[in-house]
Amino acid sequence: MRETLRTEMQEVFRDVFGDPGIEIRDAMTAEDVDGWDSLMHINLIVAIERRFGIKFATAEISGLKGDDQNIGTFLDLVAGKIGPR
Amino acid sequence: MSGRSGSTLSADLESGLERYLSAPEETRRETLRDLVRALREAVDAGEKEAARAALQRAILPGLDYTSVQSLLKIHRRLRRELPATTPLLRLAVLSGFTLDQLAPLIDLNLAAAGAGAEIYTPAFGTFRQEILAADSGLYAFSPKVVFLATGWRDLAHVPLLTDDRDRVRERVRLEVRDLSAAWQTLHDRLGCQVLQNNFDLPPWRTLSNLDRTHPAGLGSYIAQVNQALAEQAPPFVTLHDVDHLAASAGRWAWHDERFFHHAKMPCAPEYLMEYAHSVAAILAAQAGLSRKCLVLDLDNTLWGGVIGDDGLGGIRIGQGDAESEAFHAFQKYVKALRDRGVILAVCSKNEDHIAREVFEKHPEMILRLDDIATFVANWTDKATNLRTIALNLNIGLNSLVLADDNPVERALVRRLAPEVAVPELPVDPVGYIQAIERHRYFELVSLGKEDFKRAEYYRTQAVREQAQASAASVEEFLESLQMTARVGPIDGATLERSAQLIARSNQFNLTTRRRSTAEILAMTGDDSWITLTVTLADRFGDYGLISVLLARIRDEKIEIDTWLMSCRVLKRTVEDLLLNHLAEEARRRGVRFLRGDYIPTPKNDLVREHYPRLGFQPAGAGDSGSTRWDLPIAEDWQPRRHFISVARAEA
Repeated sequence: MRETLRTEMQEVFRDVFGDPGIEIRDAMTAEDVDGWDSLMHINLIVAIERRFGIKFATAEISGLKGDDQNIGTFLDLVAGKIGPR
Repeated sequence: MSGRSGSTLSADLESGLERYLSAPEETRRETLRDLVRALREAVDAGEKEAARAALQRAILPGLDYTSVQSLLKIHRRLRRELPATTPLLRLAVLSGFTLDQLAPLIDLNLAAAGAGAEIYTPAFGTFRQEILAADSGLYAFSPKVVFLATGWRDLAHVPLLTDDRDRVRERVRLEVRDLSAAWQTLHDRLGCQVLQNNFDLPPWRTLSNLDRTHPAGLGSYIAQVNQALAEQAPPFVTLHDVDHLAASAGRWAWHDERFFHHAKMPCAPEYLMEYAHSVAAILAAQAGLSRKCLVLDLDNTLWGGVIGDDGLGGIRIGQGDAESEAFHAFQKYVKALRDRGVILAVCSKNEDHIAREVFEKHPEMILRLDDIATFVANWTDKATNLRTIALNLNIGLNSLVLADDNPVERALVRRLAPEVAVPELPVDPVGYIQAIERHRYFELVSLGKEDFKRAEYYRTQAVREQAQASAASVEEFLESLQMTARVGPIDGATLERSAQLIARSNQFNLTTRRRSTAEILAMTGDDSWITLTVTLADRFGDYGLISVLLARIRDEKIEIDTWLMSCRVLKRTVEDLLLNHLAEEARRRGVRFLRGDYIPTPKNDLVREHYPRLGFQPAGAGDSGSTRWDLPIAEDWQPRRHFISVARAEA
């Protein structure tokens, strides 16, 4: 379930960053992904919202790049919004 | 906006593009993924010209933000790796918002129109300082157009609830005064054209229904400011109706405030493409890239049913039935386009006399034969017919838009005449208006009496052609036209139309220099410049202002910067008339030489021999085929013969 989500999220990352080689792991942070600046952050948010039909809250959009955040917490957040499938 | 296409596409790219262009909106994203892959492969394989041609046609309104980003990536790469086909417009975008997403999309949409921009955006939140400080990056960049992308949050004099009507009026005045001061500073320092947003309304109304009626309501205030801007903007300022964008998106959707609070974006990401397209359409129109002619299919496009099978009584158009009314409404929309200067043509697979009969006899038709500039109903393929139509009207294929309900015809034209814009039409005719409207094909810079007369001109042209056929000689024909002209400098009354011709003329245009309204204004106030316009009429009708000449006096020569003429008055001796005026001007100012340049473009071969024909002598040749010509105006220089009686316009 979580691995399915990871694969789907990875596709979105690959599309948005234009890099078919990206592999996302829980421990990765925004620092670890080439080109993940504030502009790409918006692109990523918009793409994920569209892909999964979800909506991030204002604080979540700003918080996702925070120091205590990584891909793991990102996946948790998306999983929580999608609900059980 | 119009598109340009040059290179032939590979089969992969061609089929990927066609699948994408003909996909209904719901499945377009899927087809775009394949197209993006084909585009990338083409770029990697070095087929960059082909990729650029395909990309240009793939940039469509209504694309979602994420899809647009993938096109933008390819566009950026091609911009780096290929030389631009046209000079890039120097554009500065100033705003209280963040422009990181909007600015590149303006360039992308310009690319779709066959143009492009080099864009300057100052650091966030500094645009007022940039305008005021004469040593700012803005002035170093030296833009030709400055876009002031303001929003309602930039209003500086919002009324207090306790303000009375007079106080609010004063605040409106201050608001416009602030902006006018910025425009004037930009204009004085840069001689640039300014594109100014009006103000969009926020989605909430703290005075609820009173918001638009109480003098101090924000809605009422914004409406007053917008009206004042529209009334007071000088000719070098163009207003961009961003409030219309917000309203048609839906104000709550347009203002996704999450992205304002997080990133100071001017609107929700999904509407940035629409915003950029709207801005680019104006810039493209100013560069003369708007489309000029709407070509209409007949059966199931202008009416329901097939005239050849169903007959006059069987086709569905008019009142009393829902779908018939939708066709009726579409015809009304098309008629309104025609009334403001869009040329209409018919291109239909039909028997000519059967097709025409509907226009002549059906009581519910809105469009009549008079409205159609060229009527082609036969069984030839449509790509060939469209070429005939362009030839008849003396305009380029890339000035045409085809409205056709038949997907097979649309696909054929896209493949065989890719310069023609072919919007997807929905199955339901009620959607035709939006399907055409959203592309902003016919964006206009100004609207004047010449635009109202255009359709009338094409009607009287047939009568003129008959007169020409029955005349014994060219001279006799020209005499019989009883032409009269007014020749005069560019002034308040002729500025807009002159700017429009300068932006749009391609064929009879010696140098194709797209002088902006701002530049023309500067010339009219400068004694070293000569500006001349010709307004022509004949016994069949009025052509309006049809020729513009800009020249500069330098080193005892008159150097012709711009000489252009509407192709509607070719071979009427207007150029001889204008040369006489210029020579007279030279004598009056004690200048002995006229000098003119011809700069070739793909479209102006028509005037290659313009100067030698008028007696100019060769005076050199420049880069890329341009030629230079001199004409000494000696004592014995004889004015040229023409067939036009002249009334000199008031200076």
